[in-house]
Amino acid sequence: MNLPSAYTEAPARRFNVGERVRVKASEPPGHRRTPHYVRGKRGVIERVCGTFANPEELAYGFDGEPKRVLYRVRFEQRELWADYRGPEHDYLELEIYEHWLERA
Amino acid sequence: MSDEHPHDMGGEPGGRIDTADHGMKFWEKQANALRNTLTSRKLVRLDELRRAAEDLGSRYYELEYFERTTAALRAVLLEHGFFTEAELAAKIAEVRRRYESA
Repeated sequence: MNLPSAYTEAPARRFNVGERVRVKASEPPGHRRTPHYVRGKRGVIERVCGTFANPEELAYGFDGEPKRVLYRVRFEQRELWADYRGPEHDYLELEIYEHWLERA
Repeated sequence: MSDEHPHDMGGEPGGRIDTADHGMKFWEKQANALRNTLTSRKLVRLDELRRAAEDLGSRYYELEYFERTTAALRAVLLEHGFFTEAELAAKIAEVRRRYESA
């Protein structure tokens, strides 16, 4: 079965595929879906998923505007886990909103 | 890392995973149907329910899955003012009387 893609257009984006980014090492209170273990870590933009209502706002009953660009970011497992013993080409991919990313 | 909420457990030791299928109790199906109806009609948002579950604090670990999602739904419906605590308590008492007299 071919499901329609959930991806949307994201013409007004800050990052493009292949660019190196760093996840903000920030600990704001509130509903945050950026896992702690990835904060402050460096990765590469793997794809642009689209533009979506901001879940951090939706979580408190607001409309999620302005919408945010969502990226899939690829991290080396060795970057994430200090004691990682697997091969260099082991990756973890996470979907992270633009406002959590900065240029690395 | 002191402000980590209970859902943010990535990278921590996981402990034993219970892989048995426990099925769904009648009330769990009812609660799930109500939750799905309210989210599909956008009366409440999935993100609100997640946030309300995270806000349960230590109760998050004491409750089973459907208890947790139902506690979150209760909190969000109260936030939106669909009913008050007093109205909910009165309704629960009414249903309990009906159930116990049946």
